[in-house]
Amino acid sequence: MRKWSVPAQIAISFVLLLLFLPLFLSQESWPTTARDILAEDAGTQTGAENIVSAIYLGYRAFDTLGETIVLLIALSGTMSVVSLLKRNSEDERTPVSLDFSLEEEKRAHHRLRTHLLEVVTGKIGPIILLFGFYVVMNGHLSPGGGFQGGAIIASGIIFFVLGNPHRREESEIQRTTLHLIESSAFLLFLLAALVPLFITGEVLANPFESKEVYIIALNTFIGLKVGAGISLMCISMIERRNV
Amino acid sequence: MTSRLLLLILFFISLHALIFNPSLMKKIFALNILNSAIVLLFITQGASLGSRAPFTTESPDQMVDPVVQALMLTAIVIGVCVTSFSLALVVHLHSRYGSFDYRHIRKELANDG
Amino acid sequence: MLIALASFALLSRDLLSGIIALGAFSLFSAVIFLLSHAPDVAITEAAVGAGLTTIIFVWAIRHTGRDDR
Repeated sequence: MRKWSVPAQIAISFVLLLLFLPLFLSQESWPTTARDILAEDAGTQTGAENIVSAIYLGYRAFDTLGETIVLLIALSGTMSVVSLLKRNSEDERTPVSLDFSLEEEKRAHHRLRTHLLEVVTGKIGPIILLFGFYVVMNGHLSPGGGFQGGAIIASGIIFFVLGNPHRREESEIQRTTLHLIESSAFLLFLLAALVPLFITGEVLANPFESKEVYIIALNTFIGLKVGAGISLMCISMIERRNV
Repeated sequence: MTSRLLLLILFFISLHALIFNPSLMKKIFALNILNSAIVLLFITQGASLGSRAPFTTESPDQMVDPVVQALMLTAIVIGVCVTSFSLALVVHLHSRYGSFDYRHIRKELANDG
Repeated sequence: MLIALASFALLSRDLLSGIIALGAFSLFSAVIFLLSHAPDVAITEAAVGAGLTTIIFVWAIRHTGRDDR
């Protein structure tokens, strides 16, 4: 668009604000029907005490399936664009001081680099992974669940990768392992979504007597998939060589 | 009431930056802030129902609305997906044309043919 | 407070300061979620907004440039 002058910009924004104003200023009270019904029935019908987990894994589980697919598509798209970037700029123009870890013989001479990054991240990584698994497994009882625990697991895996002094040699193995974890977790989630179709006739219905098994299984698969996917994307961004 | 007005102002600051700021990175910042502002609006409005967190061990009279929180979880995850993909595209554009300014990129595209 | 952080992030020429302001914005909104009795959303916003989004933005700055033009 052409370059508007500053008063014209502010005037246009003000007009848009006046258009949206009734939406933000309406005085109607928030409806309470959903909360009353859910507070009584959610525990016995789905087996989860956390009502938010009961909603997105029990009543509206199809939305969770769609969100997992959106995450898969966005992460694979980002990784493909990033690999295109790295193929275009193979001449390594970025300066050495931006690198995350140096080789052993350079480390003694480079004054500004210390071992701080490797020491701290290498020690903290396992603790954060443990916390992430705890959040995933207890998603139906306390605040937590699949997506939250998945983000924490992704941070833990990134810490592991950053704190590894032998990162160059092992990066192929790490990437293949994460790829396998992500794909198998997504396939298991799809399987867990489709198997109730043959047992009771509905997709994503809870087929067990004690309903908590299904919720815990779904939480675990989502957490592993999200964690492995996001950390794979971040690792492919950090590495300088292609793929 | 005042929280709604403040969030309205936040929404329109970021909408203004999204439309009129020439730099592509600032547009991505503005998308992120827009997403967070809408999530804040919904959650603070849902919290007007009560004063306890939504668990079945609490009394149903004082509980906060749980449907809203489940929807906002999805919104946050999709926001991070959109941000990461758009950042990859902007980095690609910058490495090709050398600038974040969309007018500069448009001129270069017209010259390339 | 949120409005000040957002306007600083959108108006600053140095992109690294903008990224840190965005992280602080996400942290403040996570605290507001906690005060509104929404613990699930608070955990998600803190882990995703202040952690992963900042990492991705810093990667983008590293590959292009710290300045805005």
